[in-house]
Amino acid sequence: MNSMQSASHVSMYYYPLLFLGVMAFIMLALGIKVSNKNVFAGITFGSVLVSMALILLNPYDGVQVGSLVFNTFTIFFVVILIISVLYVTFPMIRGIKTKPEIFYSTLIFVLIGMIIATLSYNLIIIFVAFEAVSIGTYVISAYGKEKRHLEASTKYFFTGTIGTAFTVFGLSFFYTATGTFTLTTEVVSSSPAMLVALLFLVIGFGFKLAIFPMHQWAIDAYDGTENGVSAFLSTGTKLLAFMILLKVLLVGFVSDFHDVYILFVILSIFSMTYANLAALSQNNLKRLLAYSSVAQAGYLILVIALVGSAGIGNVAYVAVTAGMFYSLVYIFMKGGSFLAMNLVKKQSVEVSDMSGLAKKSPATAISFAILLMGLAGIPFTGGFTAKYYLFLSLIEGNLWWLAVIAILNSAISVFYYFRVIMFMFWKDPVEDGNFNLNVYSKIPVIVSAVIMVALFFFFYLLPTFATYAPGLFATMGGSI
Amino acid sequence: MYMLAIFLALIVLSFVAFFMGKYAGAFSKISSATIMVLTVAYAILIFPSRSASGLTPINSYAFAPGIGIYFSIGVNGLTISLLVLASIVSLVSILIADKKEYKATFYGLMLLTESGLFGILLSRDFLFFYIFWEVVLIPMYFIIGRYGGQRKDTVSLKFFVYTHIGSVFILLSILTLFSFYYGYSGSTVFTLQMATLLNPAFINNSAYLPVFWKGFMLFGFMLGFLVKLPSFPLHSWLPDSYTTSPYPATVMLAGGLSVMGGYGLFGILLPISTTIPVAVLWVLIALGIISLLYFAFTAMFQMNIKRMMAYASASAMGFVVIAFSAGILDSSLSIRNIELSGGIFQIVAHGIIMALVFSTLYFISERTGKENIYQMGGIHREMPWLSSFLLGGLLASLGLPGLAGFIGEFSIIAGVFQTVGWLIFLLILGMIITASYHIWTAQRALYGPYNETLGKISDASRKEIAILASVTIVIFVLGVYPNLIFGIISAYVGGII
Repeated sequence: MNSMQSASHVSMYYYPLLFLGVMAFIMLALGIKVSNKNVFAGITFGSVLVSMALILLNPYDGVQVGSLVFNTFTIFFVVILIISVLYVTFPMIRGIKTKPEIFYSTLIFVLIGMIIATLSYNLIIIFVAFEAVSIGTYVISAYGKEKRHLEASTKYFFTGTIGTAFTVFGLSFFYTATGTFTLTTEVVSSSPAMLVALLFLVIGFGFKLAIFPMHQWAIDAYDGTENGVSAFLSTGTKLLAFMILLKVLLVGFVSDFHDVYILFVILSIFSMTYANLAALSQNNLKRLLAYSSVAQAGYLILVIALVGSAGIGNVAYVAVTAGMFYSLVYIFMKGGSFLAMNLVKKQSVEVSDMSGLAKKSPATAISFAILLMGLAGIPFTGGFTAKYYLFLSLIEGNLWWLAVIAILNSAISVFYYFRVIMFMFWKDPVEDGNFNLNVYSKIPVIVSAVIMVALFFFFYLLPTFATYAPGLFATMGGSI
Repeated sequence: MYMLAIFLALIVLSFVAFFMGKYAGAFSKISSATIMVLTVAYAILIFPSRSASGLTPINSYAFAPGIGIYFSIGVNGLTISLLVLASIVSLVSILIADKKEYKATFYGLMLLTESGLFGILLSRDFLFFYIFWEVVLIPMYFIIGRYGGQRKDTVSLKFFVYTHIGSVFILLSILTLFSFYYGYSGSTVFTLQMATLLNPAFINNSAYLPVFWKGFMLFGFMLGFLVKLPSFPLHSWLPDSYTTSPYPATVMLAGGLSVMGGYGLFGILLPISTTIPVAVLWVLIALGIISLLYFAFTAMFQMNIKRMMAYASASAMGFVVIAFSAGILDSSLSIRNIELSGGIFQIVAHGIIMALVFSTLYFISERTGKENIYQMGGIHREMPWLSSFLLGGLLASLGLPGLAGFIGEFSIIAGVFQTVGWLIFLLILGMIITASYHIWTAQRALYGPYNETLGKISDASRKEIAILASVTIVIFVLGVYPNLIFGIISAYVGGII
């Protein structure tokens, strides 16, 4: 606790959250009179931007307010989650038929939950905030014109509650073993109950992160929901779950790092391999992207395995830095490719529906191709830098063979990503008017592709992130 | 600085070409010619005065110094000769591309491939080396997939995935070196500089680089390079890609891309040759001989002349592998120098010869619409110019004295005899087979009774003759005065061994 200082003006740290909450209620009230979707999207976008500004304006250098920790690391993830909301605000307009105010205010409530869960180092607060996020996402995933949205949401809801049950159970074991819910002081316990807690917490949060074998719901849910929603589910909630796992496992289970390591090595290998192999035979493009999202989560959790193996120190900081950069890139490559589904008018998009996109709109086709190349980790995209740095940190942590498995997996993935590119560029369109090439569909894809390429050239961001990374362990007496 | 300027100009030009609309063809021809002239001028006028061992100073520009990434650029005797080759081959491939269907994208992609090749050869930093190595594949993938012939979609995917997996192993090797060097340097230096990492003292020190990882590193590099060469048994992408891609891209593949594997062997593995176990070198020799013979036999039975030349190209690259590994095994320094320089010369000669052969084939098949050797029959009667050029290309390819192909093969054979002993007969056998099927093909396709179904066809235009004649002159000049680049190469090799 040496580097932590307690803030004298506590309330100012809550202003962004209060502001968001007020704006959400104002929107609900406004909904009685106004029904224009663009208005609500605009308000949401504006208020989320304002809250981001408010958060960044706060002096957040290692301040601890109750169990909330404001340092560069947590704020980084807050910003990432805010970006993931901003990112889907306007593209979501297409999927909403009625009552946009409820949708957008729910989105803001979800964001509030995300921010609290990110900042908090108390397991109960994390849990409650995370539940708020989950319930919100059950609502928005049911939002759409068709029955199948409801079906997807129901599946998501049922598996989600099972996940919750596991989490609660895990938390109770955690408490039994350690006698505390807060992670703000170093938790030391080698009781066997910790193992049970570890396993159950991983299962609980693993459902939200959609890693093997807790991923089955994700394929159906991403496939069944509106494209904007699936983009949000696969970026926002997933990265939140990743952040929470980082925090809970790496701060709460310091004395059980070896078990964390073994568990996550197994989980990541299975997630990557299974998802990549399953994606190979997919003809439904959205399900293909869903499987690739499971595989990407498999790459992400390599970070946890690595920290578990190396312990807290320089290698762990490098690994966390890799995770941070990967999360940033991930929003644009995964979110962008899910939003690219908006380009096709059909509800269930086959790979062959992308035929001839290059002829209709070359810029969009190239952008989507860049996003797919990013997912495959081809140079000159941010995806390459992220993967490169991740593998580098694995190798630095002496997890050689894991890096080899990961790299071979990324070589396998090239097959299915390039198959999509093949259809876009050298097949003729199946029928005329198949594509939906208005501004709302095109702009998100093009913008994310531009950012993807820019992130490759911005890899000097990595040293900056490296100075943020120790902040994860700040409450254990580490540096900021 | 000079080469950096050329390189940056090339990248900019290739992006501009995408937006040139109907002027893209002319634009990219002029740009590519300019680049070629500047590169050759550098090679002939400026480079030799730099230093005796053929190494220029390396210019480094900080990119992300915190994690050891510098953009470093430098030229040595090996890369300058390969740069000249790459610029000539790219120029030829762009010059012959003048079909209506080739839009601005095509020329842009061709120039991008050339930039990638330049990037690979110029980079002195492993990260950028790897990035450009991958960058070359993407435009080729799009060219094959968009403008290719039969089964273009599957073949382009096969090409990409096959070579990508090879590249991935190179990446693993690079990361291995990077990571263990950190320990070797006393946990202070993060670096990806080739000059630092390719350090035999570090690689041979099993206290810092464990034997297993040393082997893994060598394996990764070799796999990546042998896929590109290609060597038996990693060749199955090659005939398909060569056959399916449009002719300009085939020229690029055969002349430009096969440079990559050769550069890998001589530019990256040769400086650390003392770390390669002798047994591995013998395996490489065996692979080289198998490639030489197997591909020659396979080529012999091809009906499609494009496919035949694809196998012939792979067969000729077998010499490169043999020269590399036998050269390292050899104990006598002067002989070693001849063998290794011969291997590098073979890469250069092979590239230019393939450019001649495939461009001539392009003009012939555009006119006759035939690629089948038997159906081409006797075209010398109608198109004497083109068939003479093709004959010239075939003769150069089989290694006729006086033409470029001979110098490489002769130096290799002369040197290798010291090392491999009686196995030399297998090489000679390979050369005999090569000669026989080349001559046989020329006989069946160019001479003999004319295939009347082809009707009346025109011979090459003045422009085409000019292109082909210039390439032929280059082949001839290198054949009678090889020292033009042989001198630079052997200075490089002498600096290494």
